[in-house]
Amino acid sequence: MNFTIRQEGLGWRIIRNIILLIGIIIILGPMYLVIVNSFKSLEEAGRGFFSLPQSLNFSNYTELLSKGNYWRYVWNTTFITVGSIIMVLLINPTVSYAIARNRHKKYYNFVYVYILLGLFVPFQVIMLPLTKIMTNLNLLNPYGLILLYGALSLTRGVFLLVNYIQAMPTEIEEAARIDGCSTFQIYHSIILRLTMPMLVTLVIMDALWFWNDFMLPLLILNKAKEFWTLPLFQYNFKTEYSFNYTMAFTSYLMAMLPIIVIYAAGQKHIIAGLTEGAIKG
Amino acid sequence: MISKFLERSTYFLFTLPAVILYTLFFAYAVFVGIQYSFTDWNGISAQYNYIGFHNYIELWNNPNFKQSLIVTGKYAGMLVAGVMILSLILALSLNSLKKFQTFTKSVYFLPAMISAVTISLIWDQLFVRVIPPIGEALNVAALFQSPLAHPKYALIAVVVVNIWQAVALPTLIFIAGLQSVPSELYEAGRIDGASTFNRFRYITFPYLMPTITVNMVLAIKSGITSFDYAYTLTGGGPIKSTNVIGIMIYNDAFQNLKFAMANAESVILFIIIAVLSFIQIKISSKGGVH
Repeated sequence: MNFTIRQEGLGWRIIRNIILLIGIIIILGPMYLVIVNSFKSLEEAGRGFFSLPQSLNFSNYTELLSKGNYWRYVWNTTFITVGSIIMVLLINPTVSYAIARNRHKKYYNFVYVYILLGLFVPFQVIMLPLTKIMTNLNLLNPYGLILLYGALSLTRGVFLLVNYIQAMPTEIEEAARIDGCSTFQIYHSIILRLTMPMLVTLVIMDALWFWNDFMLPLLILNKAKEFWTLPLFQYNFKTEYSFNYTMAFTSYLMAMLPIIVIYAAGQKHIIAGLTEGAIKG
Repeated sequence: MISKFLERSTYFLFTLPAVILYTLFFAYAVFVGIQYSFTDWNGISAQYNYIGFHNYIELWNNPNFKQSLIVTGKYAGMLVAGVMILSLILALSLNSLKKFQTFTKSVYFLPAMISAVTISLIWDQLFVRVIPPIGEALNVAALFQSPLAHPKYALIAVVVVNIWQAVALPTLIFIAGLQSVPSELYEAGRIDGASTFNRFRYITFPYLMPTITVNMVLAIKSGITSFDYAYTLTGGGPIKSTNVIGIMIYNDAFQNLKFAMANAESVILFIIIAVLSFIQIKISSKGGVH
């Protein structure tokens, strides 16, 4: 049956491979430079920016870890990401389930449209009032940021989940109801399980957003150094390391490291999950 | 009694946390933002006055605002063009790859994992350390310094960094779109003697239409509202050449004590996005295979 598989022209295959190779160099080249230079002293990098380090010199790393409060920022970023994901999982599927099963009722349809309208609002419109609202509520801290992420996750979350739940058959739910299950029990033991694929997608998309976000932490946390996340730490240290650039590379690498380790471990699921959500979104 | 009440109102209770949070941190914020835009508040003082459309009129006459809109338009235009063309080429290439497809895909997706700040800082260093030696070797004066320091090239340099990261997700979406094209159509096309280009033009392209719309919408919105890259790389300079609207709003609100003015700027941004979204929905509702 091999003859039915499209034989692509040699010319296209060569061009394609050249394109992909150039792309890989453009993506991995900067990564390579960051890694090799993070192990060099300034003087060594001056002699050869592109060469491999002469030895694995960890002094940049020990210096960064000893004075930079690095672990504090990793902890803050982790805390905010995990806390926000919990918020996402608490409020998104519940409201989406309620909407999906009651679209014919005015209130639920209103809530649906109300939340979806947020898709058209650029972040800049709410960011300035939010700083004032958060200041007034005394929430310029990680907890405030978690609440905000929960609220801001709703537009995408409701959009994806309502469509997903509406497409699910209702027979199992009806059978469970006849067996005397309450709405909450049905939600808890049936709906949550059936929406798992879409929830995974949502969690991946939102976790990347929370972990890497710069704008909201800048607005909410920048004044208090003890609350800084990794992107804030990076941004605020950019002047400090502007001369000691091998040290700067070490800090970039350390800022990327947690997410790259996670990516290396689960890249297949991450890519699949993001594609799923992106197509439906 | 209580359990019966709870059962009847479960759905309603399910909506409450979301509705409350969304109302306070989103809807109310939009409302307050629009309200501020009609005041003269500097963001700090205890009192402020309502001044009608004064801020909007002032913006209309403000050359900096116009310039910022133009910079934003250029930024978005270059970003959309770069992202759409590159991600389509990469998706076609990756999709037809037989060997190492998983590995290559995961390399191409790596940039989407890293924060814009880290990426910007890395490229900032690369522009300083890599471009000038190349410029000196080739004796091209324009490359003697980092392109970020040059009013003419800074915007392009910022967009390049943004594209470096922003291509990943649209590429994935395009690959998924390509896989939705029924392979029988290619067969039929080949039997009818259609060239590779014509197969793309008449088979692949119509099936990709919805995907193109999705990617376009995402790219335009991210281009118009962009902040992270320009803010980290140039802070809007040199000579405001990269002063996108996102930076102008931020600086007016928090540096220049023009908080109300900044709100008026973001309301205008809101209107621009709303109009563009409307046009896009109108266009994408015709044509293409759904």
